[in-house]
Order: sequence, then structure tokens, then C-alpha cells
Amino acid sequence: MGVDRDYRCQVIKPEDFNEFWGLVLDELSSIELNVKCEKDELRSDSEITVYQVFYDSLDHVRISGWYSVPNTPVNGLPAILLVPGYQSDPPIPKDWSAKGYACLSVNPRGKVRSRSQFDPGYPGLLTHRIVDKNTYSYRGFYADAWRGIDFLLSRGEVDSERIGVAGSSQGGGLTITTSAMRKEIKAASAGAPYLCGFMDAIKLTDTYPYQEINDYLRTYPDRLEEVEGTLAYFDGISFADQIDCPIIMNLGLQDNVCPPETGYALFEIIGSKDKKLFEYEGHGHEAGRYVHSGIMDQFFDKHLKG
Amino acid sequence: MSDNRPLDFGQFWYSLGKELSEVPIAAETETLPMRSTDFADLYGIHISSIGPYTIYGYLSIPKGDGPFPVIYYVPKNASVLEIIPQGTSNQIRSRYITFSLACRGMRTADSPYAAMYPGQLTEGIESLSSYIYRGIVADTLRGLDFLLTCPMIDRSAIVAWGNDNALLAGALHGAVTHIVSTPSFLYDTINQASRTSSYPLEEFNDYLRHNPERKGQISEILSYYDLRFHSSAVTAESLIMADYDGGLFDKKTLRNLTENMNGAVTVHSSERSSYKDGMFCEKWITDKLFGKDATPIVPNHWQLE
Repeated sequence: MGVDRDYRCQVIKPEDFNEFWGLVLDELSSIELNVKCEKDELRSDSEITVYQVFYDSLDHVRISGWYSVPNTPVNGLPAILLVPGYQSDPPIPKDWSAKGYACLSVNPRGKVRSRSQFDPGYPGLLTHRIVDKNTYSYRGFYADAWRGIDFLLSRGEVDSERIGVAGSSQGGGLTITTSAMRKEIKAASAGAPYLCGFMDAIKLTDTYPYQEINDYLRTYPDRLEEVEGTLAYFDGISFADQIDCPIIMNLGLQDNVCPPETGYALFEIIGSKDKKLFEYEGHGHEAGRYVHSGIMDQFFDKHLKG
Repeated sequence: MSDNRPLDFGQFWYSLGKELSEVPIAAETETLPMRSTDFADLYGIHISSIGPYTIYGYLSIPKGDGPFPVIYYVPKNASVLEIIPQGTSNQIRSRYITFSLACRGMRTADSPYAAMYPGQLTEGIESLSSYIYRGIVADTLRGLDFLLTCPMIDRSAIVAWGNDNALLAGALHGAVTHIVSTPSFLYDTINQASRTSSYPLEEFNDYLRHNPERKGQISEILSYYDLRFHSSAVTAESLIMADYDGGLFDKKTLRNLTENMNGAVTVHSSERSSYKDGMFCEKWITDKLFGKDATPIVPNHWQLE
């Protein structure tokens, strides 16, 4: 039995989806960015400068990140927003700067160095206050990633017309939501996207982190309707039709974390006319990384450096 | 660079063991009903290590009478403690007792010390006594001490699973019967770091760039933890997950480890696929503990072939 490439997820985009997120964006824009950007001498070297970055996001939660730039004195740098996986620690993105990009690796709320005001933990983040779309953890978490674009726009060395977003797993899901909501994004690369087709994924997999939702529903079976209702606002599939920048996606057909069926369903909905899917048979959640990293480099070179 | 085992290597580790033995395990258990299922119960476990320092683990016990084989997921070089590693079938908890441990600095064991990632591997590396890894190894061994107090464990089947710490657990604690290890940062560390700019090894490059005069001292401190010098103490049957050929920790590079281990060793070169490598591990451990006719428990999308 192979993966069903025609699989379609059950999520239905809520009618007031744009209104809901519009209010979040309004609230976000009313909060001053309040950037602090400190050079990290220990992590910097002769070719790349690394900064520890902090800014304010929704609910005035202080968000941290790693920002790195090549030392070559060039203004108008292309830039990448690097969005993190679920339980991994956001990396210092020196590898991106070695390729000529300014890069912000963001730590949304609850991650290391962004934990002091909000910290539901792991497991926990995926179901934290899930019964209400206005309290659900990912309302702020998504906003924290989107806010990273504001940080990049505040940097004089960054060319505001050449900003991309990349990530895998949860980073893949955040790439979808960010490229849908921030039209400054000119190119996007989403690997093995998580946070897409939640209610299907919990039936298609028996692994964490999606198991967190099954754990929650086993504990609170009467809350199924509320959980489905909330997640429809946060499902990458609900965002996908609003993506209009060039985008590539990669899937491992033996992905044991984010079922490839949900990836196919997502790709079908993506609104961009310039979209391409790379499928990797014989690969799991790493989604063919060792081959695909070269494809990503070419893609961003074309759209952000060309 | 130090290529020699320190003269007081044995004394150093004996002292650590003695210090640990003087700290009561003092386990406190809490049930975690949300993460318990119809096939396994989950508990949160607080235990004491040297310092004293309180560390934390997730213990999953299958329903039924036991005894059950054990998979001990050793502390990671990352902040998050998982119940079982991401992507592992939850059904694994129906067959094995699983115990995952957060060492000092990780979430759930981050008071008073909250580690940074990167940062943990060079914390306190100014001296042998202040280096954080001494405590991390103690925590790793304390996890095994705790497991031995659990009445439902099968003492003939205790697997240490994870990074370099799995090998250290096997070398320094007699309870380990099997090892699945992916060496990542404690094998010929400074030399290997010089061949890469990727974290976590880049931590050492960062440190030495700012403290170049300390290279000799750092190498000497790290030699106490170097897997090459622990290899002969490993008697457990082991699976070493090496990098792909030509990678940083490939089969050839790891020869000074694998050829000196005193238990049977299987070395698997990565196929650069988490699916293929993961399947190899699951089949290997199932074969070793249940025989060739047993079926490994794998995630749904690995059952499609």
C-alpha cells in the first residue's frame, strides 16, 4: 500500500477566518517592536557576525532570535526568516549567512530564551488552551514568527524586496502561515509541513507530537467539537490559498511524524501559480534533506539573488 | 591535542561513582493520566543526582504483569525532554518500559541551571572539576540506578539508546545489556570540531576562537569523556549508528571506538534517510531482544512496504 496522493483533509476554512486573523494582525501592529540587537562575540567569527535579538510580540511577550549577517560590507542583502521545528532548539543560522543571506532564526514563545512569560512545555504546546481560538497557544506563536518579518524590515542592511522564509516540520507549517500572511515574502520553502490537516494527522499517525491531541481528546472527549473548531483557524490548509509567492515543498513518503497525505492535501490548496512539490520515496521526516538542500539553495538564489 | 588516556582516568570515574553512590536516589513519582493509555501508564519521576541536583524523567510502564524489557533514552544535547523520541510509534510503550531522562540544564531539570543550546557542551569547561559534563554523566548513570529499583524491569534486557551518552552509560554502569548509539560530539572532539562549522561541535570552535591558548587544557578535559577511552569498558551488545561514508563520524573514523569495544558490535552507516536508519534500529533491537521472528513496532508510515 502506498501513500494516497489524492488524499484530502477534512478541515473547512472558517467563514470568519480572515476577520479573526485580521484582528490579530491589528493587535500586533499596535505593539511597538522594541528591538534589542546585541552582537554575540562568542558566536561571531571573521566571516559572519551573530546577534542575539529580542522583540515584542502579541500580548507583549518578549521573543528572542539569532540573527546573522555576512561580514562583507554590502547593503541590500537578501534575507531569510528561518522558522523552527516543534521540539528542536532554533539554530544559529551561520550556514545561511555563509551563503550571503542575512538570516533571522526566531524562537517563538515557549522556546529556549522566549520562555519567561509563556511556557506550556513539551508535550503541551500543541494543546495549550486549545478549546478557544482566542486563547490557543499558536495564536501568539504564529504571530511571533510573522513578527520576525518586521524585524528584518527594520534592518538597514536588508533589501525589503528580497525576503524569503524557510523551515521544515513545524518550520514547514510556519512557512505556510507566514508566507500566506506576510506579502513581503518573495519566496518560500516548506519541508514536511506540520500543523496542516491536524484532525487527519492524528488518525494517520501514532507518533508524537500529533499524539498530544489524541491524549487531550482521550482526557476530554466531550471537547472534540471545540478542538476541531479551534484548529480550523490554525490549520495550514486554511491559510494556503492566500499564498501567492513562489514556493517549493518537499515530502518524505515514509514520514513518521507529519503524514505525507496531509502534505499532498496542503499542496493542492496552495494558491501560488509558481509552486513545485518534491517527493522523496524511501525517506522519513527528514524529507530527503541531503538532496533537497541543494534544490533549496538554487530556488532562493533564483528568487532572492537573481 | 591529547590522544592519550589520562593517567588518572580510572580514578576520575571511580570518584564520580563514589560521589553518586552517596547521594540517595530519593525518587518521587507522579502519575500523568493524560499521557497514559489503555496499553501503558506514564509517570513523571524526580530523582537526585550529584550536587545534589534534582533531575526528571518520564517512565512508561506497559499494562500487564511483566517483567518488561527496558529502553532507556539517555539525556540529549537539546532542551526538550520527550516521552519517547519524536516519530517513534507510541505502541512501543506496550512492549517496553521506556524511561527518558532530562539531565541538568534541560527543561524539567533546569533549576537552578538552565542550559543554553548551543552552550551546554562548553559550560564550565575552564576546569575538569567545573565542567558541566561531569554532572551530566552522573545524571545519566543515576537514571540507570533508578531503573534498577523498578520491580517490573527485565534485567537481562536494558537498552541504552541515544547519543554519546548511551555509550558512556554502557561503559560506566553494569546494568546496560544493549546499546544503540549515534556518536555526535564526544569522539576525538577537538579534532572533529576542526572539520566542521556545524553545531553542536561548532561550540568548541567558538570557544577556542576566543581562547586559543586553552586548546591543550580543553583537549585534556575532554579526553576523560572521549569515547575512544571508554570503548574497552563496553561489554553490552551494541549498534553504532555511524554517519554516511565520508561524513564526520563515519564508519572509518569511528574505528578506534568500534574495534576496541568488548561486546559484539554492529556498525551501520547512515543511508541518509531517517526512515531507513530508523527501520534498521528497530529491526536490530527487536531481533536482539525477541528473536528474528518477532515483528518490530514501527510507525504507520513505515508499514507501507
